[in-house]
Amino acid sequence: MVGSASMGRRILTVYVPLALFLVFLLLPFYWMIVVSLKPPTDLFNLRFNPFFIQHFTLKNYRYLFQETAFVVWAKNTLVVSVAATALALSCSVLIGYALARLRFPGGSAMGVGIFLAYLVPPTLLFLPLAQVVAGLHLYNTYWALIFTYPTFLIPFGSWLLMGYFRTIPREIEECALIDGSSRLGTLFKIVLPLSLPGILSAAIFSFTLSWNEFLYALIFMSSGPLKTIPVGTVSDLIKADVLFWGPLMASALLGSVPIAVIYTFFVDHYVSGLTAGAVKG
Amino acid sequence: MPDLHPAAARAGPLSAGGRGTYPRSLLEREPSLGLLLMLPGTLLLVIFMAYPFFLGLWLSLTDSMIGHAGRFVGLLNFVNLINDSIFRQTARNTFIYALVTVPFKLVLGLGLALVLNTRIPFRNAIRAGVLMPFIVPTALSSLGWLMLFDPIFSPFSWLLKHWGLITRNINFLGTPVLAIVSVMIANIWRGTPFFAITILAGLQAVPAELHDAAAIDGAGAWQRFWNVTVPIILGVMLVSTLFSIIMTFADFQLIYVLTKGGPANETHIFGTYAYQIGLSATAIGQGAAIALYMFPVLAALAILLLRYLRREVA
Amino acid sequence: MAKAQRGRRVRRPSKRSHGERSGREGALRISRRALLKVAGAGALGLTALGTVPGLWRWGGAAPAQLKGTSLSILQATYFIPTAQDLYKKQAAEWGQGQGVTVNTDFLNWPDLQPKISAAIQAGGYDIVELFPGWNYLYAENLLDLTDLADAVAKKGGGWEGFVANDIKVNGRYLGVSHGNSNDALNYRISWLKEVGVNLPDPAEQARTGKILDLTFDEWFALGKKLKAKGHPLGQALGHSQGDPPSFCYPYMWSNGAMEVEKDGKTVAFNKPMFVDAMKRFIQAYKDGFDESGPSWDDSSNNKAFHAGQLSMTLNGSSIYAVALKDFPEIAQDMNHTLIPKGPAGRFSLLGARTFAILKNSKNVAGAKEFLAWWFDDKQYGDWIHIQGGYQLPSTKKWAKDPMWGKDPKMYAFSLQPSIGRDQGWAGPPNAKSGLAFSKYIMVDTFAKAVQSGDAAGSIKWGADQLQAIYGG
Repeated sequence: MVGSASMGRRILTVYVPLALFLVFLLLPFYWMIVVSLKPPTDLFNLRFNPFFIQHFTLKNYRYLFQETAFVVWAKNTLVVSVAATALALSCSVLIGYALARLRFPGGSAMGVGIFLAYLVPPTLLFLPLAQVVAGLHLYNTYWALIFTYPTFLIPFGSWLLMGYFRTIPREIEECALIDGSSRLGTLFKIVLPLSLPGILSAAIFSFTLSWNEFLYALIFMSSGPLKTIPVGTVSDLIKADVLFWGPLMASALLGSVPIAVIYTFFVDHYVSGLTAGAVKG
Repeated sequence: MPDLHPAAARAGPLSAGGRGTYPRSLLEREPSLGLLLMLPGTLLLVIFMAYPFFLGLWLSLTDSMIGHAGRFVGLLNFVNLINDSIFRQTARNTFIYALVTVPFKLVLGLGLALVLNTRIPFRNAIRAGVLMPFIVPTALSSLGWLMLFDPIFSPFSWLLKHWGLITRNINFLGTPVLAIVSVMIANIWRGTPFFAITILAGLQAVPAELHDAAAIDGAGAWQRFWNVTVPIILGVMLVSTLFSIIMTFADFQLIYVLTKGGPANETHIFGTYAYQIGLSATAIGQGAAIALYMFPVLAALAILLLRYLRREVA
Repeated sequence: MAKAQRGRRVRRPSKRSHGERSGREGALRISRRALLKVAGAGALGLTALGTVPGLWRWGGAAPAQLKGTSLSILQATYFIPTAQDLYKKQAAEWGQGQGVTVNTDFLNWPDLQPKISAAIQAGGYDIVELFPGWNYLYAENLLDLTDLADAVAKKGGGWEGFVANDIKVNGRYLGVSHGNSNDALNYRISWLKEVGVNLPDPAEQARTGKILDLTFDEWFALGKKLKAKGHPLGQALGHSQGDPPSFCYPYMWSNGAMEVEKDGKTVAFNKPMFVDAMKRFIQAYKDGFDESGPSWDDSSNNKAFHAGQLSMTLNGSSIYAVALKDFPEIAQDMNHTLIPKGPAGRFSLLGARTFAILKNSKNVAGAKEFLAWWFDDKQYGDWIHIQGGYQLPSTKKWAKDPMWGKDPKMYAFSLQPSIGRDQGWAGPPNAKSGLAFSKYIMVDTFAKAVQSGDAAGSIKWGADQLQAIYGG
């Protein structure tokens, strides 16, 4: 087996870099955990070591659940993310298949146009978009986000799935067609099941982007109980010039750890899903 | 490049031969089916992106203020921005921001991907764990960094003072060069996982047999890396890099939370400056011009990316 | 005169709010009972029945039919949570009485502008809270509320100076001011004592009116001594719209400079007296301040003061309010005084916040009725009192309100309205001053000066920026 190096070598080339990476990437999360478990008075007491908890408290989490509508925010974020992902994914599957397999007029132009969508900054888009959203009476409803999020989910999803569909041997589809299956039937009965890893990757990517989004959620849907986690956290835990650091960090953690847990189960598929779509040659 | 997926190399339209007697409904003909499949997504994008985009483009060519439709002024906004010293500084900052962070993210992502590609305990958990900076909403993780970079309460300053290495607190976000370095660190932290996971996917597609064959031929680890691994993942790296450049140029939330472009405009990038001018000062026409300034360059980059993608198909 | 929203006049309300007897014979009794009612339930409808002292009457016209309509209000998240709850309660009570569905939204105040912009483009809110200067920025989309504003001012004994100067746009009122949050020099009593500043106790200061009176130079000298003992002064100079401008603008004004002259066009920023003063500030920053100021946002000096890192800092009463709850030893040991003065006088950056109605509101009548009701002494008074001085009232009658006497440490804040003036001085706070404010020109001038040590160069930069805005 290539690469079966000595233990010493492995430590040097694998474990030490891994440890450094983990420290760099996860230290802020450790910090967030510590902050969320400290009382506010300890937080700014410079005599205490900031990396350790001197007085453990669950007050911040209690505050988050009792004094804010965190549970409602989580529900809203979940609803919007799942629905937007489902919608974006459906569109991406269709677009990806069309671009990968079919020849039709305007195909390459449309393909290019879709990707150019990423170049438009949301900080510019949201004002004219507000007019569109209002005109369609979607303001302050879940639909506002469910319809606007796919604008930045579809391009990447389509690219991903397009690449993935290409790696499926055409013979399989051709056989099915010869056997009498319709085109759409081939797509749904043959191609999709084989592309599950790719679809999963696109789904995970889309879900993450939807979950994190801030500006559209702030503008189009932040009335009353309809806030998402990022919007609710910023608007309710920052009062004038006082930030409630403990609950803020608690919210950041609770708003990301569950996703990471889900990813642990799917990440194998996620990774292999990206493989087929991304690697050529 | 070794042809590992012969079937994929012929990716293209399916032949529908031998079915001449089959009813050729709309759903069976390629052109119509293609358009039909593109329809839902394209419709969404046209309504919610294209139309607002052209509206925004129009805004940049007017002197509009919020709630006050302006007159068409052609490229006046764009010209005026060239004479705006704050805008010039913003442009410099944005280029530095993107062109420094992206290589770092690429190299670190590659390194991390290589490490994650080996047999290590708790692989799945670690892979999910390293994705965390990408998962947590930027609006919230940037608040975490705000604390980490606090001019008085930063734990880094505390630690260094504790170890006697420094005597005064580090002003991470308040000193000219250090401010932009600090936001770059936060950006690299957030962006590395994306590169790592994407490249990891590419690495997993490199068959072990290739490595074995090369090793048998006497190639060392470094040679194997350059001659076997890199060619295969080049595509992935290129695509991720281009995506990252585009995303970094359009960044907003991270810098907005950390410095809002300060101190003294030293960390302003296009996104934050456009926000400041277009929304805080309500000069939306100018704001749109700032936001769209990079559009031609980024469009060129994107078209490059697409050419590359389509070339691999042929 | 208000146009009835539904396009028809409502007849004298005999079928009015819940629980009320209809019919004329009950009318007079009902209206007196309404006087005694705390909440606005039905009160507004009943004002039409006759002159009801204490309740303001809107333009003489009969109120339009409001039942079944909805009203949406957008405000900044309150620092004092009980005040936010009170506002929600008041709005709900009024809504219930009128049969109107009222929705109140609260956002972190920096996020208000994008939301207001979107509402202007696409609707969604009837009433919005505007921060100082915004009434100019959004002038074309705000309803003219001059009648209502005049009535509120009249009832309150006239607008405070900082309000009167601020909220008229081209002679019209585009919103009704509810005041603004306060700002003063917070300081640690014991540490000042250590460097030789002996003051009578807060209660006596409030009684005699003899509070700590410093010039900027005296303040800087004090800072030097304090920093030597490890207790520096603190001042934010970063890109936030609260603390940094509240120092920079006054320092500029107290030293003879301003953005523009009264004509609103001639830039008056690059003045020799100001350049000299800036040189002294640069030196003082090194000698007496915590030098990490350019990275501070609005919350940094709060945290630092609570952690015992600062001896004196300009801030609203949020530091004191939090100290009372979480850091009682600091609350014990602190007091407030007015911002220091310069050769040209003593000034505080104080603009007025207003409640405005968007022109594209679908319930203009409801919005007007609500504002008229809310600005009534009962509602406004409760709202002011519950904030204990954190909110500076907009009309003069509240200046001598007993609430100021409750805590002598809040005394200095009661004096602030008299020295307040807004951005754009000596011109009006308009779109140009708004642009200069949003671009942090003033703040960046100071930040550059402190970072580079070049007073003249930084001020010239600022002057050029202002020239581009005002002259160009």
